[in-house]
Amino acid sequence: MTTTQFLVSGWTWNAAGLIVGATSMVAYFAAFRTRGRIGYFAAALSVFLLTLLSPLNALADGYLFSAHMLQHILLLLVAPALLLLSLPRSLSVVVRPRLLGHPLAGWIAGVGAMWFWHAPTFCNAAVVSRPVHALQTASLLVLGSLFWRQILAPREDERLSPPSAVLYLFSACVTCSVLGIIITFSPIAVCSIYTMQPKDPFGILHTIRAGWGFTADRDQQIGGLLMWVPMCLIYLSAIFAQIARWFDETPSPAPVKI
Amino acid sequence: MNEIAATLFRAGLLTAEQREHWKRAWLSTVDHKRIGILYMVTALVFFALGGIEAIFIRLQLAVPKNTLLHPDTYNMLFTMHGTTMIFLVAMPALFGLANYVVPLQIGARDMAFPRLNAFGFWLVPFGGILLHFSFLAGGAPAVGWFAYAPLSETPYSSQLGVDYWALALLVLGIGSVGASINFIVTVLTQRAPNMTLRRLPLFSWMIFINSFLVILALPVLNAGLVMLLIDRRLDTHFFLPPGGGSAIMWQHIFWAFGHPEVYIVAIPAFGILSEIIPVFSRKPIFGYEFVAGSTVAIALLSLLVWAHHMFTVGLGHTVDLFFVASSLLIAIPTGVKVLNWSATMVGGRLRLDTPMLFGVAALIQFLLAGLTGVSHAVAALDWQTKNSYYLVAHFHFVFVGLIVFAILGAVHYWFPKMSGRMLSERLGKWTFWLMTIGFNLTFLTQHFLGLAGMPRRVYTYPDLPGWGWMNMISTIGALFMTAAAVLLVWNLAVSLLSGKPAGDNPWNAWTLEWATTSPPPHENFHELPPIRSRRPLWDDANPDRPDPIVGTKWKADTFVPEKNKASVLVFVISESGFFGVLILAYLFYNATPQPGPGAHDLDLLKTGMFSLCLFTSSFTIWRSETNHFKGNHRAMSAWLAATILLGGIFIIGQVLEYWHLFRSGVSVSSNLFATTFFTLTGFHGLHVCIGLVALLIVLALALVGDFKQGRSPALQAIGLYWHFVDIVWVLVLTVVYILPHL
Repeated sequence: MTTTQFLVSGWTWNAAGLIVGATSMVAYFAAFRTRGRIGYFAAALSVFLLTLLSPLNALADGYLFSAHMLQHILLLLVAPALLLLSLPRSLSVVVRPRLLGHPLAGWIAGVGAMWFWHAPTFCNAAVVSRPVHALQTASLLVLGSLFWRQILAPREDERLSPPSAVLYLFSACVTCSVLGIIITFSPIAVCSIYTMQPKDPFGILHTIRAGWGFTADRDQQIGGLLMWVPMCLIYLSAIFAQIARWFDETPSPAPVKI
Repeated sequence: MNEIAATLFRAGLLTAEQREHWKRAWLSTVDHKRIGILYMVTALVFFALGGIEAIFIRLQLAVPKNTLLHPDTYNMLFTMHGTTMIFLVAMPALFGLANYVVPLQIGARDMAFPRLNAFGFWLVPFGGILLHFSFLAGGAPAVGWFAYAPLSETPYSSQLGVDYWALALLVLGIGSVGASINFIVTVLTQRAPNMTLRRLPLFSWMIFINSFLVILALPVLNAGLVMLLIDRRLDTHFFLPPGGGSAIMWQHIFWAFGHPEVYIVAIPAFGILSEIIPVFSRKPIFGYEFVAGSTVAIALLSLLVWAHHMFTVGLGHTVDLFFVASSLLIAIPTGVKVLNWSATMVGGRLRLDTPMLFGVAALIQFLLAGLTGVSHAVAALDWQTKNSYYLVAHFHFVFVGLIVFAILGAVHYWFPKMSGRMLSERLGKWTFWLMTIGFNLTFLTQHFLGLAGMPRRVYTYPDLPGWGWMNMISTIGALFMTAAAVLLVWNLAVSLLSGKPAGDNPWNAWTLEWATTSPPPHENFHELPPIRSRRPLWDDANPDRPDPIVGTKWKADTFVPEKNKASVLVFVISESGFFGVLILAYLFYNATPQPGPGAHDLDLLKTGMFSLCLFTSSFTIWRSETNHFKGNHRAMSAWLAATILLGGIFIIGQVLEYWHLFRSGVSVSSNLFATTFFTLTGFHGLHVCIGLVALLIVLALALVGDFKQGRSPALQAIGLYWHFVDIVWVLVLTVVYILPHL
């Protein structure tokens, strides 16, 4: 199968994903009507659906570790961040039990999700077993939301102050980079399932290995580098936003009464 | 000698009662102003030394096939020049300036820890002497300032030079980390009441940010140096491929430090430009927020992109690609700065006094350095030019064109404050033009020399078209710079003796250091002007049109932590970097099992029991703290004693484990498992022992009754350190003992 053919036929019919997407859309409009920030919500939903339905998902399903890593980053860092940004600015996001609302818990959620799902056993299990995969997807979204809530909660008073937020984000960036560095330079396969010959349901393996040049070694390297560099850049962008917030002299508008 | 004392006294640098014992008054000082000056004088001495080395290098390279220097001598001078200029000139000079200026700018009486400050300074001459002692001990290091393995390993450098080099850098690294902890804590805890974090002058802000970079980057180098020393002295193979080690690993460690290091010396220079350019343009800085914020961006990005120093190593296309992209990003925040400085000058009433001349030249030269820098971020271009004089030209434009010029600007700018006397403008302008012309003759030319194909790191070269005359121009330029340096020293000496009196604020500047006498009294300020914006002296002089008030909307604006706890916290962050490298090295070297001893020789159960003692001690020290808060003095001492006992048991357990391993023939040089195992657990053990000593001191103080009056932060500070040591052990236990069983 050629690349073009794959891009056309590589879409996954993921009923669960579609249902979750549709339900969340209905729930979002039911709850906020026009008070929400629809652009962000559309972006969050698109990222979520593209991650689970597009050819990226097909690639992550046994072919490419790097595709899996990209999925991981989108689900843990991008989709939850966009979702939190889409909420109306007056909404209070309360987490129960309260312990989960503690910054340390948020930090551990965000960073722990990265480390936990890249332990070789769990990483392989998530590829082989459907239920584990579903659990992984759900956990990434939830843990990512817990992580970002400290930074992107709609209400100013529920967010960390800029200096704490910078420390929070930067330490998360370093901790994930360390894992990225380990994966990049590890002489052994982190997620060994990807180095084995996959079932190749799309007949695309030859194109991937020879045409795209994704050998198993290089694939893992790219996966590690994705975590090391672009993922850290997401945290860094958030840090820059925090610096802008820190120096911003305009008084924040009073919350609108609803 | 009495003349020196008399001069210092006349300049206000000695009080009347100190005249008799002026040497002791200066050498035993803990005053940040004197320590700052000592730093700078030391940097000047080493600048002369590194300069002489550079002159020899240039003389050797003046003509093709020159035989002035023996190749080995050339390599030694070349190594010592690089090491000296970075670690003994740029860093001490900037730390010295920061030491002098930061407490004054923030309206403080002194640094947070004056004794630590003195300690940090004295490590500089100590490290410098250690480094240069290698000349007497069989030959200086001849491996480049980067000391690439395996060249720096015993089989290829069997003399003691590299050992002295590594020891000296360790000493200097410890001093730098100490000084940076001090800067961070000083800015956080010693600010004048209204000097909020967002009202900090840009120089102080940048030193503050930069200090974080130092405490994160230097420990990485320290870990590498320790590994190199263990390789060389204990016959191990961290970086020696024949024993299973990895020479590339050294490069990763070195550049993970080396790239941030560029910014460690560049950011203070940015800070200097951000002070000088507005004052001599008679305008506030354009976009304070952008200049301050981009500093954070530069500092954080710089920690991420070291691999662009290794494009020619052969890390593979994939790795190169990612680091091309991320390295190009650094151009954005640096570009923002250049635009801000330029915009500050636009429409200003420029006053081209010597400090400003150096500032403007630094700005222009840094622009060129940045442009060639961007070209190096492109791997394909980098492969062509990395090993040529084009790269030499690039980094000298950064280190000399920006940093040395900024330092010279700063010396001309702040000398009146330090001495109470103006430097001679006439001599200053001569220095500037000699320096600028000489610098550009030397290094602008080298761009073309590199593009014409001349490789770097060579002691001589064949007579190829264009090489000879370009090298000659380069050498002539170096002589111009020498003249400039001599003139500078002459100007400093003459002006100190008979310069015209400066007054409090000769440049009509706006930051607090100019609100006190020149030189400032021992306690810095008798009275501070009100601080409502970033330019308190402007507001004071122009009450009808003051700067907009910078608000205090964040708690962090006025937040002042307890200084002992803050210092330990910062220290702990720094130590995490050190252990991080050791743990990563352990994982890397033990990813595949190797012949000889391995994790299967370790007794998880026994170690687990001793670990339990260590973990329990975290609980006992916490109990000790709570009892201390409750004023329950005896319980506090008892819990403290229990902590020491548990820590002691852990150490005994480690000794027993080592003893067992030694008995069964496992030593540090057995294989890489043993090497990494002993290095990692050994350094952890060392930290436990240091903690025990500190705890014993606290216990002794407690028993004497020192803690009976009120709460002391000492116990909490030690407690933080102790918890950190325990957390590190959690990681070590997981990685070394538990992971192999999974």
